[in-house]
Amino acid sequence: MRLDFDRGTILLREPPAGLELADVPGVRWDPRVGAHRAPARLAYPIAAELRRRGVRIAGLPGPALGPPSGVRPPELRPYQEAALAAWRLGGRRGVVVLPTGSGKTRIALAAIAATRTACLCLVPTRALLEQWLAALRAVGADPVGRFGDGERVLAPVTVATFASAYRHMPAIGDRFGLLVVDEAHHFGRAAAPNGLLGSQDDALEMSIAPLRLGLTATPPPAGAAAARLAALVGPVVFERSVGDLAGRYLAPFERITWSLALEADERREYDALRDVYRRAWRAFQGSHLGASWEDFLHHAARTDDGRRGIAAWRRARRLLAFPHRKREALALLLARHRAQRTLVFTADNDTAYRIAREQLVMPLTCDVGRREREAALGRFRAGTLRALVSAQVLNEGLDVPDADVGIVVGGRHGEREHVQRIGRLLRPGAGKQATVYELVVPQSGDARDAERRWGRLAPPSRPAA
Amino acid sequence: MLPQADLPLRLIDDRAYLDFLGPEDEPWLRVLLAELARFEGRRRRELAERLAEPLPCDAPYHKRRAATRALLRLWRGAPALPVGPQGLRPSELRAQLFGAAAMSEAPPEAIVAEVANRLALPAGALMESLFADLPGERRVIAPDPPPTPREAALRTNLAIAQAVLMRAARVQVHVEGGVRPIVRLAKLRGLLCTVADGPGGAPPSLEISGPLALFHHTLVYGRALAELLPHLAWCARFDLRAAAALRGRIATVTLQTGDPIFPAAPPKPFDSALEERFARDLARLAPDWDVVREPEPIRAGTSLVFPDFLLSHRLHPERRALVEIVGFWTPDYLAAKLAKLRQAALPACVLCIDAAHACAPADLPPGLPVIPFRRRVDAAAVLREVERLTSATTVPSAA
Repeated sequence: MRLDFDRGTILLREPPAGLELADVPGVRWDPRVGAHRAPARLAYPIAAELRRRGVRIAGLPGPALGPPSGVRPPELRPYQEAALAAWRLGGRRGVVVLPTGSGKTRIALAAIAATRTACLCLVPTRALLEQWLAALRAVGADPVGRFGDGERVLAPVTVATFASAYRHMPAIGDRFGLLVVDEAHHFGRAAAPNGLLGSQDDALEMSIAPLRLGLTATPPPAGAAAARLAALVGPVVFERSVGDLAGRYLAPFERITWSLALEADERREYDALRDVYRRAWRAFQGSHLGASWEDFLHHAARTDDGRRGIAAWRRARRLLAFPHRKREALALLLARHRAQRTLVFTADNDTAYRIAREQLVMPLTCDVGRREREAALGRFRAGTLRALVSAQVLNEGLDVPDADVGIVVGGRHGEREHVQRIGRLLRPGAGKQATVYELVVPQSGDARDAERRWGRLAPPSRPAA
Repeated sequence: MLPQADLPLRLIDDRAYLDFLGPEDEPWLRVLLAELARFEGRRRRELAERLAEPLPCDAPYHKRRAATRALLRLWRGAPALPVGPQGLRPSELRAQLFGAAAMSEAPPEAIVAEVANRLALPAGALMESLFADLPGERRVIAPDPPPTPREAALRTNLAIAQAVLMRAARVQVHVEGGVRPIVRLAKLRGLLCTVADGPGGAPPSLEISGPLALFHHTLVYGRALAELLPHLAWCARFDLRAAAALRGRIATVTLQTGDPIFPAAPPKPFDSALEERFARDLARLAPDWDVVREPEPIRAGTSLVFPDFLLSHRLHPERRALVEIVGFWTPDYLAAKLAKLRQAALPACVLCIDAAHACAPADLPPGLPVIPFRRRVDAAAVLREVERLTSATTVPSAA
């Protein structure tokens, strides 16, 4: 019998007489086409099961692209070698968990060189797409295909954004034997008990690739999301934390928290705004016990008090994002560390642009185009730019060279965001000691956000000198 | 597409009811449109900030959010113009200014003044243009003409209905008139179209979904399904049912003829100049025959056959024949088409095939008249075949 790839699935054709396909795991009868069908992800397990039952498989979709040529295996550190070995032992399926800056990409490059099969690398952002293209070219992969940022070029090694892979996998899901999933924690996390899946998970469902390597610094905790990720990519096969690698393979870092009270007029304005908001919130809660924030927004828009409450909440948040003393502290820190490469992290793009205007620091935001972003990173690497400011672009995966100082002006996405941000500073260097400053407004939502950030990183904080 | 948090809908049991905008919403839509108009020429970021807050009048929360998002797409950002005597783009200004700042210990104001002087620009103009090309910093341009409250409501309703279909894995649709463009568009988007019998003798319906929808409620096909909706508005009648993932559960939603949604551009009357010329020639040659472009489809097993033309005699309506023009084709396409024609067992059908791609006689359905053509279909030859065929046969009724 034959297994044919059909738009992200496998059609099982010409089964031998008497073979009951419906009890093969993952296979269903499709009355629309009059044949049995399975998700493409299961192509090889199904073929193995059929062979076990004595069925001769005349046609099985293999990677339609040839193996990549010219990929040189990079040199690996001992823990990277161990991670690669663990992945091999796991049947070349699984997730490697390593801190940001510890060289996860090199493990993937070594896996690509070792497996000698067409490979699709999936990345969450366009910025990372560029970075992966450069890394692959650096180890001799040529040509390298790309799907994303308006381009669609296939090659034995191709890099695609998650969004692009999701849209095009029905057409390209039979081209690759190896999937490398960077920032793999993006998958599986929307698994829900009612069978609704995270939409982009289907990008992995629609690929026949039997070999899969996931890379992340922040795996999902045990539960439905972790189980779903294990089904799509494989279980966690290797894990090391910042603590395991700090000192020898990652730079040690110091955390310094600057507690910056609002100025008197700002405090008055903040308290007044909070009062307006709290009145609206309490009035709503009094009559809607257990209601959600979404319910509040819905309800508040119907009344003058509610509308005022929402507007006040937004303004209070804006005020906390970059009050006067944060501005002063940032100016002081940028001057103090002007000889070092510094990354400034903000809660939103608006604050990033304000800092760019006031302190003349180059912003890296999602709005800045690819070429300009690459040029800015190149200049940062060369030392002709000393600082960059960003809300989210620097959060994940982007390989920012040798930054020494991080200044967290604000952040809203908790521990995962923070782990990724701090990772930007941990690339090791001779005698390097990274410093993370955190600018926090006490007695405010800002202080609560700051508390939530530190989980698994958690070096002791010391107050400002 | 609108996020589901902004969708005005009610979930009752396993059904979703969409709250479309209607005449009762026009007062607050007028206020919203006035707010949008007020921000013309200002930064898009400022407009977005303003619209994130409630309007100064009572407006239903979800409807207002949906309308804001739908209308913001029409208020575009103006492209940034080069500035100064050197005609520098904002990205070049940034490279100059931030590069200079990295090399200098002077205070920011002094660096701005020095760079502005070097570029022969006022310092204010330098700072004003610094981010003028970024999406949030672009100046807002209003659409010309701006939508009326009525049009704003229709556009918002289309966005709402499409956002719901974006969360569907499959749709079931009864269509009368204009079904061909729907099936064509669905297939172009990689969807599967099958014909299903209606319950209890009800007319058959189209099931449109994708291969992976067999296994779970995938959203992979949502965009393609949503694209069908504005085209359905051109069908004489339609009735669409979809199961969509909304607020953590699967709910059934129905859309039908008369729902106040903004239609797509009208479909083209002809697929090609070849067909248009053939229809014109035939109409001139055969005044006693009505030439119907894209008649109702004819069922062939679980799929449909879409003839290009139906010729119906004006005085003897029982004399009817179908005409199918096969121009550009591949061997697989032609094989599938002929298989369908055989399955449909059409008694009166004339097949016109591009002579440049003639197929073997054994591939053709037995008894089916074939008229080869080069560049132009011979309408007189087709008419002769139709006259001959319809002296004793009729076309089966539509699916």
